[in-house]
Amino acid sequence: MNQENELRKFCGASQYVLDDELAEIVNISIALEMPLLLKGEPGTGKTMLAHAITEALNMRLILLNVKSSMKLIDALYQYDTLTRLNDSRFGDSTRDVSNIEEYIRMGKIGQSFVSDERVVLLIDEIDKADTDFQDDMLDILDQMQFDIIEIDKTITAKHRPIVVITSNAKKDLSDPFLGRCNFHHIAFPEPDMMKSIVRVHFPDIDKELLNSAVQAFYRLREIKEIEKKPATRELINWIRALRADPDFRVKDLIKGNIPYLGVLFKKSPDYSTAQKTVAHFKI
Amino acid sequence: MFIDFFYTLRKVGIPVTPTAFLRLHKALNMGLINSVDNFYTAARSILVKSERYFDLYDQVFAHRFQGVDLEEPDERELSEIARALLEEWLKDPQQLADLLGIDESELGKLSPDELIEYFLERLKEQTEAHHGGDKWIGTGGTSPVGHSGYHPGGMRVGGISRNKSAVKVAMDRRYRDYSQEAPLTQSQMGEALKRLRNMVPVGPKDRINIDKTIYQTVKNAGEIEIIFDQSLKDRLKVILAVDNGGWSMDPYVHVVQTLFNYARSQFKDLKNFYFHNTIYRYLWEDPRRHYKPYPVDELVRLDPETRFIIVGDASMAPYELMSEHGSIYFQERSEKPSLEQLHFIAETFPHAVWLNPVPPYEWNYTQTIGVIRKIFPMFELTLDGLEKAVAHLVRKN
Repeated sequence: MNQENELRKFCGASQYVLDDELAEIVNISIALEMPLLLKGEPGTGKTMLAHAITEALNMRLILLNVKSSMKLIDALYQYDTLTRLNDSRFGDSTRDVSNIEEYIRMGKIGQSFVSDERVVLLIDEIDKADTDFQDDMLDILDQMQFDIIEIDKTITAKHRPIVVITSNAKKDLSDPFLGRCNFHHIAFPEPDMMKSIVRVHFPDIDKELLNSAVQAFYRLREIKEIEKKPATRELINWIRALRADPDFRVKDLIKGNIPYLGVLFKKSPDYSTAQKTVAHFKI
Repeated sequence: MFIDFFYTLRKVGIPVTPTAFLRLHKALNMGLINSVDNFYTAARSILVKSERYFDLYDQVFAHRFQGVDLEEPDERELSEIARALLEEWLKDPQQLADLLGIDESELGKLSPDELIEYFLERLKEQTEAHHGGDKWIGTGGTSPVGHSGYHPGGMRVGGISRNKSAVKVAMDRRYRDYSQEAPLTQSQMGEALKRLRNMVPVGPKDRINIDKTIYQTVKNAGEIEIIFDQSLKDRLKVILAVDNGGWSMDPYVHVVQTLFNYARSQFKDLKNFYFHNTIYRYLWEDPRRHYKPYPVDELVRLDPETRFIIVGDASMAPYELMSEHGSIYFQERSEKPSLEQLHFIAETFPHAVWLNPVPPYEWNYTQTIGVIRKIFPMFELTLDGLEKAVAHLVRKN
């Protein structure tokens, strides 16, 4: 119980609208010291959640953007051989060439371990990496330590970071990986929820604009044969575009006149399908 | 605590693990969970690891905590099962009668319609009376995959399944744990497929070759000379065409999925196609084989060096393969018999193999397997077979 009191509870942030369910899951994951795996359509605020936690709990965020070619060691530490070679040749640096440790640089996971205060570690788009990477990484997050082979030293986390992992569900994650995480799937928000999300981003938004934009947006999402449906991110950019355009009138939207489709539909076949469908809106 | 709940989750097919269950208890002990609502969310995030199972979880939860009945297979599904039973009946009345424990001569008097009616009654009785009983049709089993992920009510006997008794498969299913018995695991598959990769240096020289750099530096008597290499990238193109339709492929879905998952993470340039039983004028880019047709003729535009891997049981009625209008789908009428399309693919892509999940000793019993084997080199979908297939695919000529 004491432990729980020590934890500052996460309950939303200024730029993030949080539903109760998700808040609970975040708090449980923090309490259980488990990584939280978030899945969901692109643009539904998976990455934003980590930023929101950072803000709410007043911690530092360390962001590891996973790339397909990434090796686990890159995320842990790097041994800068080249600088050492250079120093050994010219010897004009303050570093001690015989001390390899001076040439070890921490990667993102390493940084989160050696940090003097508790941090939020966001591992973004884990599904890009191959399964070996995922499994090995989870081992390290489980143990909260790793070895630096070059200097035979074990790095142990000073404070267990809060780990948030996001996945775009491009491929299924392996079972051992899933077994070590808490899981949540962020569903696409309902129109009402969406309106409050938009309001967080545009506090002064005109009610009429908000209603008709959200309505038009959900109508556009309904279009069949769209490969990449527009998500929250697209809606927010779209509204930003609408508000920036001095010639835009809300009435146009109601009439079915939808400008800036390119902001919503990023793929060219999607764009043309949407354009054709939108033409039918105007009757 | 909640042991029943845990086992019900397992029983309906959600892969929950004891570790996760213990973790849930840890959360309970820490006083993090104070209400049923709390419990619902917490248990789901801790126990259930994929949104595919959320719906199933909801059903179980409602069943456990609100006393709602678990969903039964509906009429339509039952009638499908009944129809499959009829097929079996027509093939071999004696065998089925034995299986059901009924008198063959009595049923022999009934017309097909009456028979269906009779089976339907039997099935309803069965599903009402026997959950997880040891009778011949199981409810509460789940099909691990398929288009919609899982099947909440129970197993489905879809359409016609040739050369394989639907009843037998239905019975097999209940005792079979694919995740453990699958002939291939992901890592094994990885080892086999890795050899397919064709690594070539591409791109800018941006990778430091430390060994060469040291060598060169020493050679220069300490004057540093840094040697850069190009990074190695896989340039191999792979097309994976999977038979994902029909009951006959269902038992192999897990293996195929593993292959699929692996291939997706392994090959940069991978195209996936789907078909049902055999290939006619179109391959499909979407698993439902509905929205995105890809004309087989268009395949000529692709690199002939592409490795073309077909996965399927190659088991179907001969006319589906040989006849001009062989497709079992009415809307998919093609002028050419499927056989010709297969020949066309084999000619377009010299590096093509057919992987068959059916064990080789059964190959002689199905006519169409024999025919297809003459077109494509066929290998068994096991580690061994996969290695042979890879060896065949990497051959230069």
